[in-house]
Amino acid sequence: MNARGLRRYIDDLLAGRRPMPFRPDDFEAAQIRTAIELQAARLGSDAPRQEFLTDLRRRLAAQETGVAAPAPKTGANRRHVIVGSSAAAAAAVAAVSIDRALIDSGQVADRGNDSGSEQLTPSTGRWMRVAASAEVPDGVVHPFDLGTVNGFVRRVDGKAQAVSGVCTHQGCRLWFDAPDDRLRCPCHSTSFSPAGQVLTHQLPIAPKPLPTLMVREQGGVIEVFVPPEPNQPA
Amino acid sequence: MTAHGDSVGPRPLRAVPDGGYPNWEAVYQDNATWVYRTIYARVGNRADAEDLTAEVFLAALRPLRLTASVGEVRGYLRATARTVLAAHWRETLGREITSIDDIEQPPESEEAISTAPQRVAGVLGQLPDNYRQVLELRFLQGRSIKESAAELGVSVANVKVLQHRALRLAAQVNEKGES
Repeated sequence: MNARGLRRYIDDLLAGRRPMPFRPDDFEAAQIRTAIELQAARLGSDAPRQEFLTDLRRRLAAQETGVAAPAPKTGANRRHVIVGSSAAAAAAVAAVSIDRALIDSGQVADRGNDSGSEQLTPSTGRWMRVAASAEVPDGVVHPFDLGTVNGFVRRVDGKAQAVSGVCTHQGCRLWFDAPDDRLRCPCHSTSFSPAGQVLTHQLPIAPKPLPTLMVREQGGVIEVFVPPEPNQPA
Repeated sequence: MTAHGDSVGPRPLRAVPDGGYPNWEAVYQDNATWVYRTIYARVGNRADAEDLTAEVFLAALRPLRLTASVGEVRGYLRATARTVLAAHWRETLGREITSIDDIEQPPESEEAISTAPQRVAGVLGQLPDNYRQVLELRFLQGRSIKESAAELGVSVANVKVLQHRALRLAAQVNEKGES
């Protein structure tokens, strides 16, 4: 029995920290197993971070070139052969497309809010209330659904901002993962920052950032500019 | 060489010529995500999943023959992941908590990566409502104790007790389903 070790292990798992080693008994091991499955069943939680994938690729490159350089040419290993062969063209193409994917997602973080994402500007629209000002203090991400448009509003340096709540890949509806402070897509594990920038994705081409919405705040109410509901009877 | 299409399927893996991979980068690019997800499903946290994934590729790529077919490379990566995960449990908890089994499905398929969602759904369905709710809030939705308390209309202390008991019962149900 090690009630404290178990409790700490579960707390760490829930907080996204690395759990500490201890010696569980049978039943404690069963609880850890179940907790891991529960944690792994959270939608989108198992998408690897883009930074991790890029960093590991760098480490592997260091290891591979470290091995390849001193290796004698006797290696009939295809890795060596390929450099001089006609297949080199194919390898070059592969390498180029890999680099582009990594660079694209790397740049996302550097780009400002304005250049990366477009603003959603309907041809006709009206200001609709999405929240009371008091409901959106600093650090809170508040979801809203106005029928024609749904999204998330938050406050940055006192100013209300809003992004669309629809994934730019295939239109699945995003949800807010509060502990990780990101918007997640249930379809392909893509995730966006609350500002709308792509954080992780598993797609061959990085999806676009989320469109921003026009926001105004007056009289203790936050409003966004959205198109009206089509008023057609079914 | 046109097999490099950027097709966006349910599983975002590139098509690769049947003859195998052109270089180690292609091996990594094509397999990193499913290896990570396979491990994450069995450790439940990012830090361990990242370390173990790195260990798998650092160990596996060096001896890898690139003449191997795609299927062989993936089988080899899954076998390496199995060894790495087993060692991880031996070192941290002194016993095997989860494992990567031999299966018939291809290693990059959803069934092979994780059965957690189906298993969890099965277990939660057998729990009393308040137990199911607290586990859904805390684990599946990642809500804090405080938020869960507000949601359930109970005190913070109650949520802790509820979560503790719910996990115990869920573990019993889960183990029964397994045997």
